[in-house]
Amino acid sequence: MRTGARTFKYIFILLIILGLVVIVAASTGAAKISLKDTSLILASYIPGINHYIDTDLLEHQDIVIISQIRLPRILLSIFVGIALAGAGVIFQGLFRNPMADPFVIGVSAGAALGATVGLVFITGVGLLGISTTTIFALLGAMGTTFLVYNISRVRGKVSVITLLLSGIALSAMLSAITYFIMIFKTQDMAKIIFWVMGGFTSASWSNFVILAPVVTVLIIISGFFMRDLNIISLGDERAVQLGVQTDKVKKILLILASLTAAVAVSMSGIIGFVGLVTPHILRLLVGPDHKILYPTSVIAGGIVLLMSDTLARTVLMPREIPVGIITSIVGVPFFLYLLVKSKRQIF
Amino acid sequence: MSGNNNILSVKNLNFSYGKKKILDNVSFNVGKEDFISILGPNGAGKSTLVNLISSVLKEYEGGIEVGGRNLKELNSKDIAKMIAVVPQYTNPGFSFTVAEMVMMGRNPYISRFGMERKEDFYATGKAMEKAKILPFANRKFSELSGGEKQRVIIAQALAQDSSILLLDEPTSHLDINFQIEFMNLFLNLNRKEKKTIIGIFHDINLAIQNSKKIMLLKEGRIFSFGSVEDIINRESIRSVFGSDVFVGRNPITRNLYVSPVFNPAADWSIAGSAVNKYLRVHVIGGGGAASPVINLLHSSGYRVSCGVINTLDTDLDTVRMLGIPYVNEAPFSPISIDSQNKNLRFIEYSDAVILPTVEFGPGNFSNLVSVNKAVGLGKKVIIIDEKSIRIRDHTGGKAEELYRRIIKDGAIVVKSVNQVLKHLQL
Repeated sequence: MRTGARTFKYIFILLIILGLVVIVAASTGAAKISLKDTSLILASYIPGINHYIDTDLLEHQDIVIISQIRLPRILLSIFVGIALAGAGVIFQGLFRNPMADPFVIGVSAGAALGATVGLVFITGVGLLGISTTTIFALLGAMGTTFLVYNISRVRGKVSVITLLLSGIALSAMLSAITYFIMIFKTQDMAKIIFWVMGGFTSASWSNFVILAPVVTVLIIISGFFMRDLNIISLGDERAVQLGVQTDKVKKILLILASLTAAVAVSMSGIIGFVGLVTPHILRLLVGPDHKILYPTSVIAGGIVLLMSDTLARTVLMPREIPVGIITSIVGVPFFLYLLVKSKRQIF
Repeated sequence: MSGNNNILSVKNLNFSYGKKKILDNVSFNVGKEDFISILGPNGAGKSTLVNLISSVLKEYEGGIEVGGRNLKELNSKDIAKMIAVVPQYTNPGFSFTVAEMVMMGRNPYISRFGMERKEDFYATGKAMEKAKILPFANRKFSELSGGEKQRVIIAQALAQDSSILLLDEPTSHLDINFQIEFMNLFLNLNRKEKKTIIGIFHDINLAIQNSKKIMLLKEGRIFSFGSVEDIINRESIRSVFGSDVFVGRNPITRNLYVSPVFNPAADWSIAGSAVNKYLRVHVIGGGGAASPVINLLHSSGYRVSCGVINTLDTDLDTVRMLGIPYVNEAPFSPISIDSQNKNLRFIEYSDAVILPTVEFGPGNFSNLVSVNKAVGLGKKVIIIDEKSIRIRDHTGGKAEELYRRIIKDGAIVVKSVNQVLKHLQL
């Protein structure tokens, strides 16, 4: 089957799964709302269908819970998942390395330091309804990316090895600074740790309206470079011989993927596993061709993070578990199971 | 040749890595139907030249024109439409299928925002057919053997539909069957599809058997460039590679071939010393038994002669290739008085005579008589006795008797070729 048709088939299946997971996620929580009512409430927000939905029969309270509390959180987790999986695919492709994840060049350490500074030193309401923590996390993440990228650039070319090494080195230093701040501000330690572990407790529509368009644009632009990413995985020289502007494409993808990861991490804290393992799982299912792998991984990333976040807020109700703990505890065994079962060479 | 016939034109090309100059003022033209092999030792700049032409390396001085257009003014996709490269090997980061790999060769033709079109699938299919990989189009590249992988890479390059094919040691890690198969494929592409082929080949003979032209590169400069017959000879190979070779002709194809002269004398203090040049050594030939010692003495710098050998004898090929004076006799004929006298003349002028482990029959018995005379003349005679004379004697005892007398009269007996040099020096 041709690439296009295969891609659409997979995307269609994944979107159906995503839709079902959204309904389940929206219906579960402290207040029990039936799947049927949930579906009706969700449908009333879909243009074109909403005329046929009669919301008068539904509990007003349920509508408020879903529209004001659960839906922004659901959508935020989906878009963060999209961003992390997309950046993960791109970094793994660029580095030709299965260990690469969205935070490989130090985005997470930069975001953590930024968030710490925001939490500890800055008191203010933030901007456009976005908290100072988020703004400073974004600045930290982008600043780190910028620094690492410029360290690794030699005569217009970006060295992948230097990128990895300087990313690791800079992460270590930034983490050290974060810990240093924590020692002197022990009263804020819990807040910092809770932020770093990642989650969507402070999700709101104002976060979402910033995150969604930015992630959408970054993810779509990156998507146009997937044929190049396939070819770059044959090696830089070979890619040039096959007509790819290797240096330029690598730079573009590095910048796009780093920005995507930075935006995601600033909204959610550091959520491990999703960006690393979602591309692996999809590679087992759809193969290594980035033209298929990328769009499917992106949607799957949304599904995985939404499922994880739903578990995070419901498993120990009324207590919440940071979603990063769920992604690792539930996701890793599943991934290992797939690895053992398939026994297929993915790298 | 008019300028319009040149598909590739390189003018005053200079390239350096830091301060080290890799290519030094290289200029040449390539015609549309050329099949050129670039030969030269490691570090001569062969791969750099290929990387410059394929635009992998861009910071050079001088000009490269492809199809009349300056390479620097072309974008990477346009270059990939005109020049395809077959590298030594390719190691994809992910396990793509064969068809996916070959389709990557169509990249120059597919827009960033578009999908693969009908003609891309057609070209991919054609390329896979030529490279004989259609049967495993859906297999994983990583699961193929080395030769099959290289077929896929060749198909990838063919899918580019380029007029120039650059080969960067495409067969050097493959078995001989693949080397021959790929060479035939490249020849076909050159002859039938009129593709220009420029290749670096690890194997000199593979290159000269198939190329129309040879470029010898030495230390970043073109040493010589022209037809195989004009370029390949003992002197040019020695100048460029610094090694001694025979240049002979393939008896079947009449093509030139190059064969290394191995020097078994590991002790270089003896081999090649100035004194040897004045020592004349005559070797008795026959049945190929003399070739190893002739090779040894010649490469050690002695002035070697040989006789009497029959035409069609292996030893005759050896002396002819080395350009050594010899006495020969018609095939399968006994040695004539005339030949024997010529042989004795050589012996008279020699400082030493070597008798290798030759088989003796009535036809060449007179060679043994000549050796006996050499002993009588007071010449140093060294017998290489690797096999008992009793087994080698086909004259009913006559040869054995004379052989023993020669030893008794003072000939030196050694058990292997390697010991000859030691005794010559004393």
